[in-house]
Amino acid sequence: MLIPRRVKHRKQHHPDRTGMAKGGTTIAFGDYGIQALEPAYVTNRQIESARIAMTRYMKRGGKVWINIYPDRPLTKKPAETRMGSGKGSPEWWVANVKPGRIMFEISGVNEEVAREAMRLAMHKLPMKCRFVAREGGDI
Amino acid sequence: MADAIRIEAERRTEFGKGAARRIRRADKIPAVMYGHGGDPQHITLPGHDTMMALKHVNAFLAIVIDGKEEFALAKDVQRAILKPWIEHVDLVVVKKGEKVTVDVPVHVEGEAGPETIVTVDNQTLEVEADVINIPESLVVSVEGMEAGTQIHASDVEMPEGSSLVSDPELLVVNITEQISEEALEAELAEAEAEVGIEQDESEDAESGEAEGDAESGEAAEGDSEEKSEDV
Repeated sequence: MLIPRRVKHRKQHHPDRTGMAKGGTTIAFGDYGIQALEPAYVTNRQIESARIAMTRYMKRGGKVWINIYPDRPLTKKPAETRMGSGKGSPEWWVANVKPGRIMFEISGVNEEVAREAMRLAMHKLPMKCRFVAREGGDI
Repeated sequence: MADAIRIEAERRTEFGKGAARRIRRADKIPAVMYGHGGDPQHITLPGHDTMMALKHVNAFLAIVIDGKEEFALAKDVQRAILKPWIEHVDLVVVKKGEKVTVDVPVHVEGEAGPETIVTVDNQTLEVEADVINIPESLVVSVEGMEAGTQIHASDVEMPEGSSLVSDPELLVVNITEQISEEALEAELAEAEAEVGIEQDESEDAESGEAEGDAESGEAAEGDSEEKSEDV
């Protein structure tokens, strides 16, 4: 799973969820992609599950690019703990995804296979997404 | 590319986001046209016609302002991130017979050899061409190519009248060997174990066992019924 090797601050504030994606809104590497339509925190487990779902469906046929990285820690206090006593311990690693961001890209398969592989992957993600094709294809 | 695509434009006198939004609400596109040492001209383009024209790569446009025709190429197109409309267009003035440097997309055709994956590392190449003869795409054939083959920019065949500007050593298409089935399965199994996903096969096997049990259970019930009748 994707985890940063070293971070400057172990516990951080919650990432800002407002606004649209500022970059990474077009397909850069592959032929087809998954674009986020809502803001969300995507955990490293969700990213890995989506990648596995796509790879399992495409078998050996294609190549997958992951364009997001879970570099923000989220903390959680243990159950049945009174308030106070400082911030909880890091529990998840998330990517702060904003609407418009292309999260995954694939190439090397035809559109039919790509659509189904990405449909399966979208079910692993915590926000509404859509399938997009390289410019010149349908959006 | 054949004739220029003719678009009727209006001169723009209002500026700022309020005016730009009014223009977009009227199904038009704010644009700017500059180049060849002249002052920038702020114009408004018809929405649908411009959108259709810009579907062509490096479209050669004839912009008509106040009855005067000027040729232009789209230098930058700003699109809305999630909506299918164009927000702004930058046009650069060109003259017929002028040579221009543009990005032309690479298209791969043909089927590479078995057990290979074809990856396009650079989707466009910089090409110098006559403004009225810009190629729509550069076609690269990978028919029957084996794993380990690399196609560089210098290997791409240029259409007549065009020359390559990009670095000739730039990697365009890379053909690699497919991962073996065992290696893929092992990699996915390891990843699934890390995430905590149960494999389908084990579920199938479990359900199969459950069915078997159910059948044996029915048989047992049948036996018991027979026995009860006998009694």
